Amino acid sequence: MQTLNVTKSSRIANITWKSFVYFILGMSALLTLIPFVWMLSSSLKLDKDVFRFPIEWIPKHPRWSNYKEIWETIPLGRFIFNTAKLTVIVTFLQMLTSSFAAYAFAKLNFKFKKTLFLCYISTIAMPWQVYMVPQFIMMRGFHLNNTHLAIICLQAFSAFGVFLMRQFYQSIPDELCEAARIDGMNEYQIWGKIMLPLSKPALSTLLIFAFVGTWNDFLGPMIYLTKTELKTIQIGLRMFITQYSSEYGLIMAASVVVLIPVLIVFLSLQKFFVEGIASSGIKG
Amino acid sequence: MALVLSAGMVFANGQKEAPAAKGPVTLKWALWDYAQTVYYKPLIEAFEAENPNIKIEPLDLGSTDYQTMLSTQLTGGDSSIDVVTIKDIPGYATLVKAGQLVNLNDYVKAKKINLAQYNGGAEQMTVNGNLYELPFRSDFRIVYYNKDVFDKAGEKYPTNDMTWAQYDALARKMTSGSGAAKVYGNHYHTWRSIVQCEAILDGKNTVVNPPYDFMKPYYERVLNEQQDGICMDYAQLKTTSTHYSGVFYNNSVAMMEMGSWFISTLSNQIAQGKTEVKNWGIVKLPHADGVKAGTTVGTITGIAVSNASKKKDAALAFAAFLTSEKGATVLAKTGNYPGIMNDNIAGILSGMKGFPQDAASKEALKTTKLYLEIAYSDKALQIDAALNRAHDSIMTKNCTLDEGIAQMNKDVKDILSK
Amino acid sequence: MTAEITAKSLKKRKFKENLVAYSFILPNFLGFAVFTLGPIIFAVYLAFTTWNGSGPITFVGFKNFKNLITDELFLTALKNTLVYCVAVVPLTVVCSLFLAVMLNQKIFARNFFRTVNFFPYVASLVAVAVVWNMIFNPAKGPVNQLLMLFGVPDDKLPRWAADKNWAMFTVILFSVWKNTGYYMIIYLAGLQGISAQLYEAATLDGASKHQQFKYITVPQLRPTTFFVIVMLTIQCFKVYDQIYMITQAGPGTATLVLVYHIYNTAFIDWDLGYASAIAMVLFLLVLAVTLVQFRGERKYANA
Repeated sequence: MQTLNVTKSSRIANITWKSFVYFILGMSALLTLIPFVWMLSSSLKLDKDVFRFPIEWIPKHPRWSNYKEIWETIPLGRFIFNTAKLTVIVTFLQMLTSSFAAYAFAKLNFKFKKTLFLCYISTIAMPWQVYMVPQFIMMRGFHLNNTHLAIICLQAFSAFGVFLMRQFYQSIPDELCEAARIDGMNEYQIWGKIMLPLSKPALSTLLIFAFVGTWNDFLGPMIYLTKTELKTIQIGLRMFITQYSSEYGLIMAASVVVLIPVLIVFLSLQKFFVEGIASSGIKG
Repeated sequence: MALVLSAGMVFANGQKEAPAAKGPVTLKWALWDYAQTVYYKPLIEAFEAENPNIKIEPLDLGSTDYQTMLSTQLTGGDSSIDVVTIKDIPGYATLVKAGQLVNLNDYVKAKKINLAQYNGGAEQMTVNGNLYELPFRSDFRIVYYNKDVFDKAGEKYPTNDMTWAQYDALARKMTSGSGAAKVYGNHYHTWRSIVQCEAILDGKNTVVNPPYDFMKPYYERVLNEQQDGICMDYAQLKTTSTHYSGVFYNNSVAMMEMGSWFISTLSNQIAQGKTEVKNWGIVKLPHADGVKAGTTVGTITGIAVSNASKKKDAALAFAAFLTSEKGATVLAKTGNYPGIMNDNIAGILSGMKGFPQDAASKEALKTTKLYLEIAYSDKALQIDAALNRAHDSIMTKNCTLDEGIAQMNKDVKDILSK
Repeated sequence: MTAEITAKSLKKRKFKENLVAYSFILPNFLGFAVFTLGPIIFAVYLAFTTWNGSGPITFVGFKNFKNLITDELFLTALKNTLVYCVAVVPLTVVCSLFLAVMLNQKIFARNFFRTVNFFPYVASLVAVAVVWNMIFNPAKGPVNQLLMLFGVPDDKLPRWAADKNWAMFTVILFSVWKNTGYYMIIYLAGLQGISAQLYEAATLDGASKHQQFKYITVPQLRPTTFFVIVMLTIQCFKVYDQIYMITQAGPGTATLVLVYHIYNTAFIDWDLGYASAIAMVLFLLVLAVTLVQFRGERKYANA
């Protein structure tokens, strides 16, 4: 008898909860979709009509030619290629070196551990604008100005990545590593065979952030890549704003096009965010 | 430790390069909007044709943040850039103050360059008797008006000799309609110079010398027009980054103060069918009582040579070419306004396709006196920033006009006293 | 005899352990030290000098810091940055945690909702800022149109980015909107690490969803929340891009923040020494706040 009552009231609670969830999700989706719709609709207009009020959500004469013009006005194809190249290399390096270093900070004990870690984190607090000039002069001294290598060197060794991975590694029980050590594994094997596979959600997170960060990076490429054939997407977008005119219709069209690869990467990583993956290992 | 020391040495000494080899010389030219500007290629080709052993390599630093980019690239005595284009006085002042430009006095004397051909431009660029850049482009402010809108309202076109009061009255007559069909009598772009520089045209004050109370009547006129809906709301324009070209193309405004550079853009856009406006004209900027018609605001884009360049001779020759009558003719043929203005150049410009063919428009090109948007001051960049802040506050009604002017006075006095 | 051998072999093993640990850190640290740490140390040195980027570097001791105390712009920037921080951090944490929890369950079109919430972070800042300004347009934007529908009279409508009293609020809203997706991802990853068995056991014991959230989810997310709060705090203190895009530190100095002031000092005044000094103050502030948070985490972990 009692079990029946519990099931009934918990079912009502379930439905209330579910409807509340859908309502909130719906509202937040609306909040994010309205701007995106405006972007789409502006991408089909001439600049002079983009900011006209009242907002014309569905343009009367959609300029599909905008999507053709963006490839002709600036070498967008080249820029996308450059950005993709940089993004892939930086993301890979970041994931490798960060997870490597994070293992030591999370699971090993060594001299100066706390100081080094604090060193790492505190540098994240320094705004880039401050050391940009000394860094630029130094890179120029290394003859790295106007090379993609410069951007890679600046972005691939990230303190942020180390911090992120270390936090996730902390949630993996120490007993696992102990058991592996007793089994005779060395630290490198423990990292490769145990830590890496268990941290798929964390690695996916780092991948997404590194990918998006490099894909949308603006200040770095602006300073270091002045030769047109080396430039990246974000610099390209700003080329639509010249001294005497601005082409926001084209900027919106290009922004929409450039968004697609990122969304593809994001969607394909979703399978690592399915609940219940990391529950294994405790029973051992 | 060793790292910091070696880094320090790099900063202190800049780069030490081997001396340039003999043979074809390549000059790097810092500029902006390379692909979108029509005159760079013809100028480079013309120069290379005359000087076969010099090649010019353009370096596009982008228009937004151009000065920041340029100064950053030149830090620490960088020698990779030879010739620089300088957008405006604040940029010029920054570079001169940092000692990054070559002093052109000797070169000008040796090559007997006639500075008078720049109609006073060179004098306004001279700092303590030294000239560091030559005027490449000189644009001046005029009034653009929409002939179709005037015809529809049955009003007479603006003339080449109006006072500010008459300009205001005409704008009020021309404002009509509401909502999407509204026509505004006037349009003021969001730059502070649009309003503030109207005030310097009697020659009694400059933008770099407080107190700024002389700007009051001009601000009052514009603020009143804004209040009465004669022109668009500044806050609106600022937050949507609305470009002045768009509102003119849409037949939404009857008149607009803007620089001469807009003439070729406007003609091009009309020719491509991207606008609703079809018939337009220009007249001289209105003037205060007692000031001659044809007195207007000017901006000069200059060409200079980097002090750290290893190819100064070639760079100077190129700079001289760009600012000579030859270079000016190439510029004029593309519809752009060079630093040199004489009847020959004016003829080319008014003969351009799309240039309004009425007599008043042709007459509008004849300026009598040009005052620079911002006079030379080695604190020009900071003064510009302070004035921008105050302008923003005043026009968005976040402070009263008196408070805004008081703030301007205080901020600039502080800057000048440091 | 045996004690000596044990002590020696212990020391040897400790040394080997340290070496192994350092080998893990080396790849990342080496690149980091050369390309980032070096310039930062130099920038710290610059705070005690005057330098315009091209001329000689002159040592001036604490002069820059003395000037800071009377610099009105610096004090305004400091105040604005603190206000921004105090508003954005809690709001973003709450929103992103909330969304993450909701999107961790089995619901219809889950991937769609996750992607949609992620979009503001991913889209180009230029485009997104323009969109935001359009939506919050003082006269005719959808937001104000909506407010008018609710009966707010014309002259009481907030003028958002153009109003010195509302500009900061507009930027705060924008940042929360833009960053929620980012931190939602981090929370989602963190939620994956919580064993499902804990929830199963709790349900069997009769715990409600609310109780499960309070006694299982929140405590288990401690390392993640710590990361989120530290990163958020640091990012808030360093904010620049959003301000540049939406209000350009205006109207007046209503949204002038520390990094904006640093940027102006460095690239308009070309007073790199003073800019570094401001950055030092910013850095020490963030360090202090981060240390407090670190203490808090350690106290909890040991409890």
